[in-house]
Amino acid sequence: MNKRAGIGFYIFLVVFVFFVMFPFIWVFLTSIKPPGEIFNNFNWFTANPSLDSYENAISRRPLFRYMLNSFVVSTLTTIIAIGFASIAAYALTRLPIKFKGLILGIILAASMFPQIAIISPIYNFVSDMGLRNSYMGLVIPYITISLPLSIWILATFFKKIPWELEESAKLDGATPFQTFRKIIFPLAAPGVFTTGILVFIAAWNEYLFALTINTADSWRTVPVGISFYQSQFTIPWGDISAATVIVTIPIVILVLIFQRRIVAGLTSGSVKE
Amino acid sequence: MVAPALILVILVTLWPVAQSFYNSLFDYRLTDPSRSERFTQSNIDLERYATEYFYISRDLEDLSAQAPDEEAAQTVNDIQTEIEAFHSDLLAMDGLEEQYAEVDELIASFTAISDRDLKYARVDNDWAEEYKDFLASSNEDLVALSEDASEEAFSNTAGNVAGTVDTINSAVIESNFIGFSNYSRYLQDSRMWQSLLNTFIFTIASVSVELVLGLAIALLINRVFIGRGVVRASVLIPWAIPTAVAAMMWGFLYDGQTGIVAHYFEQFGLINDASVLLSTANGGMFSVIFADVWKTTPYMALLLLAGLQTIPGSLYEAAEVDGAGKWQQFWKVTLPLLKSAILVALLFRTLDAFRVFDLIYVLTGGGPANSTESISIYAYITLFSQQNFGAGSVLSVIVFLCVALISILFIKFIGSDLFEGRSR
Repeated sequence: MNKRAGIGFYIFLVVFVFFVMFPFIWVFLTSIKPPGEIFNNFNWFTANPSLDSYENAISRRPLFRYMLNSFVVSTLTTIIAIGFASIAAYALTRLPIKFKGLILGIILAASMFPQIAIISPIYNFVSDMGLRNSYMGLVIPYITISLPLSIWILATFFKKIPWELEESAKLDGATPFQTFRKIIFPLAAPGVFTTGILVFIAAWNEYLFALTINTADSWRTVPVGISFYQSQFTIPWGDISAATVIVTIPIVILVLIFQRRIVAGLTSGSVKE
Repeated sequence: MVAPALILVILVTLWPVAQSFYNSLFDYRLTDPSRSERFTQSNIDLERYATEYFYISRDLEDLSAQAPDEEAAQTVNDIQTEIEAFHSDLLAMDGLEEQYAEVDELIASFTAISDRDLKYARVDNDWAEEYKDFLASSNEDLVALSEDASEEAFSNTAGNVAGTVDTINSAVIESNFIGFSNYSRYLQDSRMWQSLLNTFIFTIASVSVELVLGLAIALLINRVFIGRGVVRASVLIPWAIPTAVAAMMWGFLYDGQTGIVAHYFEQFGLINDASVLLSTANGGMFSVIFADVWKTTPYMALLLLAGLQTIPGSLYEAAEVDGAGKWQQFWKVTLPLLKSAILVALLFRTLDAFRVFDLIYVLTGGGPANSTESISIYAYITLFSQQNFGAGSVLSVIVFLCVALISILFIKFIGSDLFEGRSR
């Protein structure tokens, strides 16, 4: 469908982008207002921009510690999950295995399991292992969530790699593992990388497990940490806005750099080609 | 090669679900020492029992000596004889004498016992039942003695011994296996049905709005234009930020005093008062759905756009030649060819919306008055705020069953499409 884009279309586009971005714009504008101004008017722009809210946001709560926790947990999760998943996905798409459909079905079903249905046994397990308030305490359950999904997405990417290369590698006497390492992996690297980004974002955003398992303030991740800025009596909207801006920046950068890959990863699991 | 990952998947997902189901059959509470484990049989907490047993004989002798009359002394002596009889019955059980001695030794050296196998021992069910009955009635007798006594010293000692008897009683743990009674309790629980209803309302409303809006946006932007990158990025950012962060942002925008969205809604006459959005039941539900639509419509549009781009342009040309209008083209070409993409996107979104937790938990906390509480939030509160793992697991299992049911319905519609071309 190659319709030409007219002026009306661009107006629609601008309005659309504005509505989608509006919460971010408003939160950013709030974050640079002096805290006193937030509560008495709805002016878009302040005459006296200030960084007070930013100072409060990082001094009242260990925001950078939250970001470090999130980063470590997400990175570990991504590496471990992708490691296991790429081997499994390769085997599922390439090797002659019985009941592939069934196995993939189980994997897809597992990726849709409601977290609340598995949280209490996992909580007991993590407590028994003494892993509460630690990085591994979150990485283990996160692998739970991300492994099925990454196998599913990786399987789609691996299917696109031509069979012939493998056939010729086999003729030259390569073992399946050698084929995987020397031929498939370099070709599959973009897909693996894309899946890695999705797993990373999913782990970065997870809330329920982070809330229950890491209850000590210094082990909280960004989503949980942010939600604890409000106390029972006051809601410091200035601090919250500033904190929101700070934690959103890394994600915006990630999205800007990898947007094509993210879209490819998101749509690969759902659209047949 | 598939085995390690598959074993891991089964270990980390299927096993916990089975565990949740198993937990749901018990009266299992972390806050109550006699119910903090799951026992299908009667057990005894040897650490607690041995500690108390050490004192009880001596205490009862003292009490008997202090007794003001013959009758009271007789009651106390009877209790002591019985407790000693039960104790020797206990030690006569298989392997218990050795275990008891070991525990006793550890207690004497003031070591806390962390090994569950050492701390708890299985005991005969009948013995446990009889002993518990006897201890309960002895406790009553002792309390009665304590209350009737005119002499203060005797009254105090009797009261203390009654307390010790009660502690021994709590060391003997009868099975807390209660089968399906947790389930029957929740099937009659109006809060459960309310939260289930809330979850369904949220899921149906948000997913259908997202589908219609997402499809409209996908159709509109499925063309060549300048600035695709900007649009794509602006669409991805709401999807990529943590839901909890988005919920905090919307909490600010909806706020009755400082919220700009609430303010504009009031100005445009959509609501009477800016506080309506977060302080009334309907306002709360609307707010939650609206925030979810904002966060996930772009994602839906993206999935559908990818589907649209696989429809060959030649089909539309052919339709045009045959004289089909735009509307007809949409119904006869676009929709049928987009069907599987739509169903898959719907499946993903429905399951995701059904287990909604963080958006509602952070934005409204399930309030006002539980009117936006989803079933996941109710389960979380029961599990972790009340520490009631038995009852909370029932709610977990209910969520799981609903999700399974929804998946089965969808898979029936999608058929084997989803696995086609992937399973070979």
